[in-house]
Amino acid sequence: MMDKEMLTQIIQQVVAELVQEGQSKAPGGPAPQKEPARTQPPQEEEGCLPDITEIDIREQYLVEHPEHGEAYADLKRNAPCRLGIGKAGTRYKTLPQLEFRAAHSAAQDAVFSDVGDDVIEGQGLFIVKSQCDSKDTYLTRPDLGRKLSREGAQTVRERCKKNPTVQIFVSDGLSSAAVTANIPDLLPSLLQGLQNHRIEVGTPFFVRYGRVGVMDEVSEITGAEVTCVLIGERPGLITAESMSAYIAYRATVGMPEARRTVVSNIHRNGTNPAEAGAHIADVIGLVLEKKASGTDLKL
Amino acid sequence: MGGSVTHEEILSVGVDIGTSTTQLIFSRLTIENRASSYAAPRIQIVKKEVVHRSQIYFTPLRSSTEIDAEAVKKILQKEYASAGIQPKDVKTGAVIITGETARKQNANQVLEALASLAGDFVVATAGPDLESVLSARGAGTDQLSQDQRLTMANLDVGGGTTNIGVFEKGKLTGVCCLDIGGRLIRVENGRIAYVYHKIQKLAQSHGIQLGVGDRADPELLGRVCGLMADQLAQALHCRQADGFHRALYTNDGKSLPENPPIQGITYSGGVADCIYNKMEGDPFRYGDVGVLLGQAIRENKDLAKLRLFHPAETIRATVVGAGTHTTEVSGSTIHYVNGRLPVKNVPVLKVSQEDEASLETLREAIRRQLPLYQPEGRAEQIALAFSGKGYTRFAQIQGLAAAITEGMGEVIHSGYPLIVVVEADIGKVLGNAINLLLDFKKDVICIDGIRTQAGDYVDIGEPVAEGHVVPVVVKTLIFNS
Amino acid sequence: MILKTKLFGHVYEFKSIREVMAKANEEKSGDKLAGIAAESAEERVAAKVVLANLTLNDLRNSPAVPYEEDEVTRIIQDDVNETIFREFQNMTVAEFREWLLDSNTTSEMIRRASRGITSEIVAGVCKLMSNLDLICGAKKIQVTAHCNTTIGLPGTFSSRLQPNHTTDDPKGILASAMEGFSYGCGDAVLGLNPVDDSVESVARILKMFDEFKNKWEIPTQICVLAHVTTQIAAAEKMGAPLDLVFQSIAGSQMGNEAFGLTGEMLAEGRAAVLSRGTSTGPNVMYFETGQGSELSSEAHNGWDQVTMEARCYGFAKRYQPFLVNTVVGFIGPEYLYDSKQVTRAGLEDHFMGKLTGVPMGCDACYTNHMKTDQNDIENLATLLVAAGCTYLMSIPEGDDCMLMYQCTGYHEIPTLRELFGLRPIPEFDRWLEKMGFSENGKLTSKAGDASVFLSR
Repeated sequence: MMDKEMLTQIIQQVVAELVQEGQSKAPGGPAPQKEPARTQPPQEEEGCLPDITEIDIREQYLVEHPEHGEAYADLKRNAPCRLGIGKAGTRYKTLPQLEFRAAHSAAQDAVFSDVGDDVIEGQGLFIVKSQCDSKDTYLTRPDLGRKLSREGAQTVRERCKKNPTVQIFVSDGLSSAAVTANIPDLLPSLLQGLQNHRIEVGTPFFVRYGRVGVMDEVSEITGAEVTCVLIGERPGLITAESMSAYIAYRATVGMPEARRTVVSNIHRNGTNPAEAGAHIADVIGLVLEKKASGTDLKL
Repeated sequence: MGGSVTHEEILSVGVDIGTSTTQLIFSRLTIENRASSYAAPRIQIVKKEVVHRSQIYFTPLRSSTEIDAEAVKKILQKEYASAGIQPKDVKTGAVIITGETARKQNANQVLEALASLAGDFVVATAGPDLESVLSARGAGTDQLSQDQRLTMANLDVGGGTTNIGVFEKGKLTGVCCLDIGGRLIRVENGRIAYVYHKIQKLAQSHGIQLGVGDRADPELLGRVCGLMADQLAQALHCRQADGFHRALYTNDGKSLPENPPIQGITYSGGVADCIYNKMEGDPFRYGDVGVLLGQAIRENKDLAKLRLFHPAETIRATVVGAGTHTTEVSGSTIHYVNGRLPVKNVPVLKVSQEDEASLETLREAIRRQLPLYQPEGRAEQIALAFSGKGYTRFAQIQGLAAAITEGMGEVIHSGYPLIVVVEADIGKVLGNAINLLLDFKKDVICIDGIRTQAGDYVDIGEPVAEGHVVPVVVKTLIFNS
Repeated sequence: MILKTKLFGHVYEFKSIREVMAKANEEKSGDKLAGIAAESAEERVAAKVVLANLTLNDLRNSPAVPYEEDEVTRIIQDDVNETIFREFQNMTVAEFREWLLDSNTTSEMIRRASRGITSEIVAGVCKLMSNLDLICGAKKIQVTAHCNTTIGLPGTFSSRLQPNHTTDDPKGILASAMEGFSYGCGDAVLGLNPVDDSVESVARILKMFDEFKNKWEIPTQICVLAHVTTQIAAAEKMGAPLDLVFQSIAGSQMGNEAFGLTGEMLAEGRAAVLSRGTSTGPNVMYFETGQGSELSSEAHNGWDQVTMEARCYGFAKRYQPFLVNTVVGFIGPEYLYDSKQVTRAGLEDHFMGKLTGVPMGCDACYTNHMKTDQNDIENLATLLVAAGCTYLMSIPEGDDCMLMYQCTGYHEIPTLRELFGLRPIPEFDRWLEKMGFSENGKLTSKAGDASVFLSR
């Protein structure tokens, strides 16, 4: 068994190595990272272990006595994968194993937790539910996640502007963390982009426990020409905060999936949410112009 | 999955009017969307291929101070015809006047005239720093340095200058240019016909007297070439610089940084073949000391300590660089107005990293610098540039838009479009924000993914790849003088 | 044929073999989603009792989709050797189970039986097996195949090296491939799931793999997992080297249509590689499957996901594959809810593949919306190797940044080999020794140092 002290030691050693590596870098250094915070080694704080989730796995290199270590360290910067992590016998070293578990914990929390009401209301959205009564039902019954609850449908009917050109709504999907992290930048940017195109927008809202397909019912209720849902993607270990926009022209319940246009990989290390919002507005503009979406529309 | 939607080929031209030779190449740049069809586009140049190489012509001069523009024009027309290419097919590229030729009186006018002849978006450019970068890239030294994981210099030894570009594992770390070249001493009928004044002084400082009309003694001139090779070794920091060294930098330009130390070397330019190959026979058969200079460089003990590699191009390195390595593409989500592009030769008003740290300093930096770009006191076309890296949140970008519109007031009230060039991927959202602030009343061009420096000029082409990106040429300087 | 039984005095009567087959399954969220699962634990056992007493003939006569309507059914039924079938047709499913598990029943005897049964029979007997039965039964059956090397030999255990990358960056892909090889992974195949599955991109990566394989003289096969028609186009239009042709398949014609696939395309793909590919053969196909894919495209015809999965293997067998694997936990909790269901499905699929007679491997994996973690996948991987699984996937620390799921990592492959005394494919084993990555079947201290490949 490894005690806490040993663990501290290991982490500090690794951090020290990282710092050293950082210092030995020539002027100019590596290619610019999209997120400066992560290239910094974890900061030490009195009486507190460094945060292992701040280690940039592209920079981490734990192989002992490599033959051409510098060359491989450079090469592996091109992959956002857990490479160059060394071994203990045939098994993993402790630090990368803990980093993996930390990433998985974030991914699971992103799925199994709910978006706080304050976050949603902070964006001026009202909340409706799908027919799922819990996360568990949501995960096992995708069919129920594609339909609004009776009250939800009623609320949308009452509170949303009728027959808007574009109906936008947000849903948690498979990542609540994605909604919390991206919506404050993504949604206003999308609305601003549509304003730039002078495209009229309906009343935006939030669907809890929603699947992509729920947009078909929303489209039918509001009578929107184009419907767009901003929804959390299934998290991976590299990020739990990735979001997608699904856009459809005159969506109807039961229409083929191929009629949806998708913009995915929206997060701070992918397409950054503010820029993504502006891009989605252009895509919606094109959908309106061509009166088509999905495979019928060439982007 | 959908796969890549965009795959487009654009034709680029490079024209190099050098001290001794004039050349032209056409290359094909392939641009592709490398993102999946489920994500925002990510369009890149994925392949660069030279498709036509011209003959090598002697640069036509009307006099020792003037380029024969008509004759150069004829060369271009002939080569376009033999390649079967119309100027309108050419989407990008560069005409560059290099070496001593750039000092000719009418160089600037010739550039302008030829650029419009070559194609709509072919840009005119010159300047020793840019030439150093282009020749090194054309020689493939950047790629070699990356593949070999070495710090490597390319020495493009031409008629009038030697342009040096240094790359560390593929990354540019320094450039410089020296007045050292094969045609700085010319020989006619066994006598010295011309000596460039700096070379004359260099020889003099070592007790060698050179004068026009003197007998061309291969042994003596060989020793002078040896001195020139020594100066190149000094420029690479392979040898302690002597008291004369500084005077040899073209236009008193800067020298190379001492670090990282150079490990490998390639040679390009007209003299390169005389460096890699031993030349037998009359050393003055080209009417200059090129052969002797090549030999002196090959035999220089300090330079020989560096690992020697062969370049992808020798005499054509600069023109290949001009034709294939000047153009980049912007980020794939940008804001522009149809019909306002291309724009050419736009000076860059660069806000420094320090000044963009806060909105106040950003706005003030714009206001402070703006008058410098309005020599006549009137608004001129300029491009505002900064990194934008600290501004990725939507709220921050709104602040940025406000600061820009406040700072750029005079440009906004002029007839020119408002051009903003940033590095961070915020071009489209920033453009939208500015556009709304200005209430749709101003043409806004806001592109990202482009890095610039103070003093640069920028050319922005018409959109390509379904309108997602624009080709961009960033020119480090137009003429050093 | 009796479809009725009593349990604890309570009568359970089923309307059809389809209902019996569905309700006899161990609990799966996918069968519940389809609305066909047993409604109670007792009903599940009652269905098993009824199934145990059906004959193999009963099952053959109840294909999941009618012969006239479905290409997959036709291929499975037409490939049955009638002489062999007649030997087994009157056995009950219970008897067939016991025959398979009997100590005197050899691998050769089972391989012969495989030629006389249909996928519904394979699925039926699977439903009567406990997890350890599935391990015991599969372990007996040896299936080998040859592309450039021979997979499935006794004493060997192989792996696919899967160097997936979020943007198909060639340098990043190579960095990952190098590290995988340095841990002894990749003897089954070096195979990438591309982000960009255009013909150009597929050709580009195949050429890069071929160059790397040739430069380091690695005895293995390469593959880029795009649609069969894309891979053939990459070979024909861009001169891409093809060792293996990959395709995702389903257990019904309608399911294959959702993949844009017909049997004819597979036959053409196979013929193209055999005549113009870069491998030795004769086994040049690579198929992937997974429980639930038919339901997700509403192509299950009311049948359960175990039976539909068995039919994938029956369909695959026609094209004499080099590799078949089930991507067992990829599709999500609506089909396999938790680690218990994933474990069961992995063992079922492996057993059914082997009983069908294909060289069966497994992508033991999970997504982040399932109630599973890496410990569960390590357990399943260990059970599968105990069952004689031909190969597993291997990726950096089990984290696939491109497909956003987790499976077995580079480190798991040598660990399991050393635990079970197994070796890679012999030529590959010798190559690892030559490179200094292993010695006598054990990793050396140099293993895991991918920078070895960066020497000049």
